[in-house]
Amino acid sequence: MSGRRAALKAIDWLAFAERVPSNQRVMFNALKTRTDAISAKLASLPETPPAIDWSYYRSAVAKAGLVDEFEKKFKALQIPEPVDTQTSKINAQEVEANKSALDFVEKSKVRVVEYEKELEKFKNMIPFDQMTIEDLNEAFPETKLDKVKYPYWPHKPIANL
Amino acid sequence: MLSRLVFLSANSLRSSGLIGAGLVQASRSLQTSSQRLAPVPPLPEHGGKVRHGLIPEELFEFLYPKTGVTGPYMLGTGLIVYLLSKELYVINHETIYAICIGTIIVYGVKKYGATVAAFIDSINEEKVAKAQVAKDSHISFLTEAIENEKKEQWRVEGRGMLFDAKRNNVAMLLETNYRERQHMVTNEVKRRLDYQIALQHLNRRLQQEHMINWVEKNVISSITPQQEKESIAKCIADLKVLAKTTQAKAAA
Repeated sequence: MSGRRAALKAIDWLAFAERVPSNQRVMFNALKTRTDAISAKLASLPETPPAIDWSYYRSAVAKAGLVDEFEKKFKALQIPEPVDTQTSKINAQEVEANKSALDFVEKSKVRVVEYEKELEKFKNMIPFDQMTIEDLNEAFPETKLDKVKYPYWPHKPIANL
Repeated sequence: MLSRLVFLSANSLRSSGLIGAGLVQASRSLQTSSQRLAPVPPLPEHGGKVRHGLIPEELFEFLYPKTGVTGPYMLGTGLIVYLLSKELYVINHETIYAICIGTIIVYGVKKYGATVAAFIDSINEEKVAKAQVAKDSHISFLTEAIENEKKEQWRVEGRGMLFDAKRNNVAMLLETNYRERQHMVTNEVKRRLDYQIALQHLNRRLQQEHMINWVEKNVISSITPQQEKESIAKCIADLKVLAKTTQAKAAA
């Protein structure tokens, strides 16, 4: 199957840290410390174990075929690779996260459109000192006085003055 | 006459929102269609110019080409003289009242007109300023909200990095495990071989010691008492000779 050494993708932790929102910073720090511990452990182990000096052992050990036997068996030994159970789960998580991220971006775009519409309306309003009461009621419908419900001045309950 | 006086002298006050709004309402009501036409022009800052608080400047401009600067004054004087002489305007007690009250009013307006106008304007200004502040804060809130949304979208783009980190972690763990296994195998084989060598050394040493002990025991047991007496006598003789030689050496 794929080679023993699945190439490690270089991660730019600085750029990653920039993108983390403040409410998830704790989780990000935990992830970083875990990753650092794992990579430190990996770096501390040399890639291949030191080779065994068979000729020395052949000369030193008196028993006849022992060293040869060991050497043969050792060279024939295949160390099984550890099985990868988590990558598929991570890929599934990633697919889900992509989906929810796209959802979020869609909703966010809708919100942005709304905000921009309101912003346009506010920016294009005539300045207040050129407005009349009718203009004001158009621009801000909440200022309109309900003359039907309260026919007498001040056209709103006294408590709201 | 008096009401016109009041109305026109009010022009000396800066047009406050109330009267100005009334004017604009008048012109606005002419736009009766439900859709608004072009926006109504803003209110003029000052009222029309008047001379002596009563007579619009347009009269003077109108008469200037024909009669020059003094024309309107001559017109006014002549009119007043005509009215008085023909008794079209009768001087009675109301004239005195008019003169007194007019003096007081003109004096009051001239002295306090500006301050009252400023005060009324400030009341309106406060309302407008409050509304303006609300509007500005709302605009800034909206722009910030848009900024934040864009920033969140940018943040979301970085989600792949998290999963890369996780996969890296998994790969590193697997690699570490594999190396550990290799190391373990090598170490175990080495240990077995070293054990054999150590075992051999131990055997060697035990054999040697045993042999030495056996040789010693045999030699000691082979020394007969006769030989022992002879060797002891010889040792004593040697010692005596040695003592003599050392005494001689010390004395010399």
